[in-house]
Amino acid sequence: MITKTLKIKNKLGIHARPAGQIVKTSSRFSASIYLSKNGNEVNAKSIMGVLMLEAGYGSEIILRIDGEDEFEALRALEELIDKNQFGEE
Amino acid sequence: MQEKHKKSFITVRDLYKACAESIHLEIINSECSFGCEIHEKDLNRPGLALGGFVEVFTYSRVQIMGNTEVGYLNTLQGEERIQAISKVFSFNLPCVVITDNNTPPMGLIEIANQKGVTLFRTPLSTTTVTHYLSEYLESVFAVVDIIHGSLVDVYGVGMLILGESAIGKSELALDLIERGHQLVADDVVSLIRVGLNNLQGEPNDVLAHYMEVRGLGIIDIRRMFGIRAIRGRKTIAVVLRLENWDEEAEYERIGVDDQTIEILNVKLPLVRLPILPGKNLTVIAEAVALNQKLKQFGVHSAREFNEALIAKMKNEGQT
Repeated sequence: MITKTLKIKNKLGIHARPAGQIVKTSSRFSASIYLSKNGNEVNAKSIMGVLMLEAGYGSEIILRIDGEDEFEALRALEELIDKNQFGEE
Repeated sequence: MQEKHKKSFITVRDLYKACAESIHLEIINSECSFGCEIHEKDLNRPGLALGGFVEVFTYSRVQIMGNTEVGYLNTLQGEERIQAISKVFSFNLPCVVITDNNTPPMGLIEIANQKGVTLFRTPLSTTTVTHYLSEYLESVFAVVDIIHGSLVDVYGVGMLILGESAIGKSELALDLIERGHQLVADDVVSLIRVGLNNLQGEPNDVLAHYMEVRGLGIIDIRRMFGIRAIRGRKTIAVVLRLENWDEEAEYERIGVDDQTIEILNVKLPLVRLPILPGKNLTVIAEAVALNQKLKQFGVHSAREFNEALIAKMKNEGQT
């Protein structure tokens, strides 16, 4: 199992489109993937869960991944959230 | 792709039979060829042609002579007037409609008789007659096609169900009927495009409201469920496409961006629905219809949710 803290860098935060991208990316992996903020942990493969986090600009979320392909999943999610900022400003 | 039209032409007789009663058409000349063909949905007012400008005269359309045309001809002197009318009638006109109960100018009836062109007269105004005839001709020459699918009226929303053979379109339609919705057509839907962006569907004459259910055969929905369970022509408001579950394919999870599909050049909202065992398709189809209805009333649930969320996150970021 691996955990990693990431900062949300796009202005609008995790709204519908980024949440969709997180779910889409997470669903490609068999590993269990969770996101948490302020102690609330949700399944990263569930849209409504990810939206519930209300992870706005500048907030920190913790990724927790557990499974065979956890490293690949981490790399993909890091790229999406940290490097590409969901393709947004 | 070449567009197919409901009819390639109608005769003056067809037009008379269909419209005479509604717009009070009377025939005012004696030598009229009712077999004359009309190939165009547009109308023409021959004003400028009567004035002598015939270079772009759309003579093959139904000609409407209103107060302007009649008034103009009445200002002309004997020989001049005959020449003006003759010039216009030297073209192959299908028929002429005189509006506002105008008295035909001297010479018009005689020339029309010589050419065998039907002269109609109506007490209604040019605008009223133009609207009525346009609508009639528009429907006669409408772009048509057929499509493999089912059309059901779900809560007043015309839902076209598409998908490969045997994926369960008819079964979904049957289930919707069972729950009180109305069948328009099953298996083959006749499509009619009215104007530029209104796509309507109706049952084929032969198939009517019969339906084939695999394993059972042909059933009569009207007899089985009664007249409440069926309806005629319906405007298609949303397309539901049933798809076999494909792990590689991406299905809509959010709904902020609407997907569309083009049928007969009309853009329609599209919902792609993957089929999975144990999924209650009927309830989802009803939800699709209700969501579409909400959108028509200006409520876009996914977008409203997202805007509220973004606003909340922004607020919290500031405090």
